[in-house]
Amino acid sequence: METNYETIVIGGGVVGSGIAYHLSERYKEGVLVLDKKYPMSGTSGSTQAWVWVHNKTPSWYAEFSMYSAELYPYLSKKIGDVEYKRTGGLSPFFNESDREKAEKLAESYRKIGIKIKVLSREEVLEKEPYMNPEVAGATYSSIDGNVNPFRLIDMYMRAAKRNGVRYSTYNKVTEIKKQDGKYSVVSDKGAFECKNLILAGGTWSREIGDMLGVKIPVNQLRGQILVSEPLKPFLNFTISGLRQANNGEVLMGYSMEEAGFNRATTLDVIQETANMAVQYVPGLRKAKIVRAFSGIRAMPEDGFPILGKVPGHENLYVAATHSGVTLSPLIGTLITELIMDGETSIPIDRYSLRRFG
Amino acid sequence: MNKLDKTTIICRCEEISCEEVEEVISNGGRTFDDVKRITRCGMGPCQAKICTSMVAEIIHQQTGLSPSEIPLPRMRMPLSPIKLETLATNSTSFSAVKSVLDEVELEEGKVR
Ligand SMILES: Cc1cc2nc3c(=O)[nH]c(=O)nc-3n(C[C@H](O)[C@H](O)[C@H](O)COP(=O)(O)OP(=O)(O)OC[C@H]3O[C@@H](n4cnc5c(N)ncnc54)[C@H](O)[C@@H]3O)c2cc1C
Repeated sequence: METNYETIVIGGGVVGSGIAYHLSERYKEGVLVLDKKYPMSGTSGSTQAWVWVHNKTPSWYAEFSMYSAELYPYLSKKIGDVEYKRTGGLSPFFNESDREKAEKLAESYRKIGIKIKVLSREEVLEKEPYMNPEVAGATYSSIDGNVNPFRLIDMYMRAAKRNGVRYSTYNKVTEIKKQDGKYSVVSDKGAFECKNLILAGGTWSREIGDMLGVKIPVNQLRGQILVSEPLKPFLNFTISGLRQANNGEVLMGYSMEEAGFNRATTLDVIQETANMAVQYVPGLRKAKIVRAFSGIRAMPEDGFPILGKVPGHENLYVAATHSGVTLSPLIGTLITELIMDGETSIPIDRYSLRRFG
Repeated sequence: MNKLDKTTIICRCEEISCEEVEEVISNGGRTFDDVKRITRCGMGPCQAKICTSMVAEIIHQQTGLSPSEIPLPRMRMPLSPIKLETLATNSTSFSAVKSVLDEVELEEGKVR
């Protein structure tokens, strides 16, 4: 295998593969993606995969997410069917007292041009007849949707490979050295050299940063999901908490726990998730649960994406974020612009690693 | 094991053929879970109880890895499908599970 590349991406999840693909559209120099396992074995293979804009705060972060959601239909045309569906998103609330908060959210979004409606109980039930009739209301936005994360990554990889990107999987990076203006990336299968190095190691970003003496403050936050047997299509929207996939399965869950890298599923959270699901959609009571899975979010210390050039290190880039499924087309586009043009079409300064001092 | 044909169905729940499993491995996949994530082989109601050994055999044939080097699929609760209501406890207090709107914080009456 060739050992000299223009650009190496460490991490082939939705973020790393998204970057590799977008780079390959404009850039025919050698690009190599290294992954210690197989892409999808990380967080990108254990996600709800909502493409979600509405309820992101502050509103500038919602705006950033919206730009990415806007890229999805176009992305599907370029790389193939990734089962992206712009279903619209519903976030139900069960106490009338939450309506004020919902109205405030809608108001703060109006200023940036994201339309959110606050629905009455009747309007929720008209849109989503299987929702619990005890619902008080919901926020609704038409831009939200979901995607099949496995197809998304598979299609990114296929398209990237067609454009000349190489993948080396089951190949862990163990050491990174800077020599004569180049990066030497030492891996289980030998050393590779490159000019540009992109760190897209998701929840392992901290340890990869350490190899270069760069602090990337990303923590772990576990989430657990329940998956039902395929059911006839009956849910219309991506409901924050559950969604129905193309094959009829319902994915339920929205949980956060600090559990380090422990990817077990636990009965207490499974039970809470089941309670949430029947509260939202009582008709699910009789549905059979086929499996539970858990994933570890890559959660930057302040919750926002870490993107762009690494201050003080030439040709070194980082992309570590939660909501990576939502953001991947935008992150791929922006990192490509940064490498090719030296600047980005929308500002990303606020996402710089620099903010952590 | 009998020789597998390209069209042999390996996963009956999801109707995944031998050829589809082979493609994942030729693209660099090495474990049952790699095959599962890309093809859905083993994601159906039987939860990989039927296809595990056949997939291991294909991995062995294509990569030369010995059976002991091929990890088993990660088994997932509840192992056999059970009704959601069996898992529910009817409590409406949540700790690890959140609603998205709960995460929206107000500061001086305004969204942060
Ligand atoms: C339960 C759950 C629900 C979620 N729901 C959503 C959602 O609805 N919408 C949304 O947008 N996001 C969601 N997320 C978050 C989203 O899944 C992640 O932000 C995204 O998958 C991160 O992608 P990534 O490529 O950065 O990380 P990963 O997919 O983890 O990729 C990182 C890769 O780096 C590789 N790697 C690490 N260290 C090394 C090394 N030393 N050498 C070589 N390779 C290495 C790993 O093997 C891995 O493949 C959810 C996450 C969880 C856990």
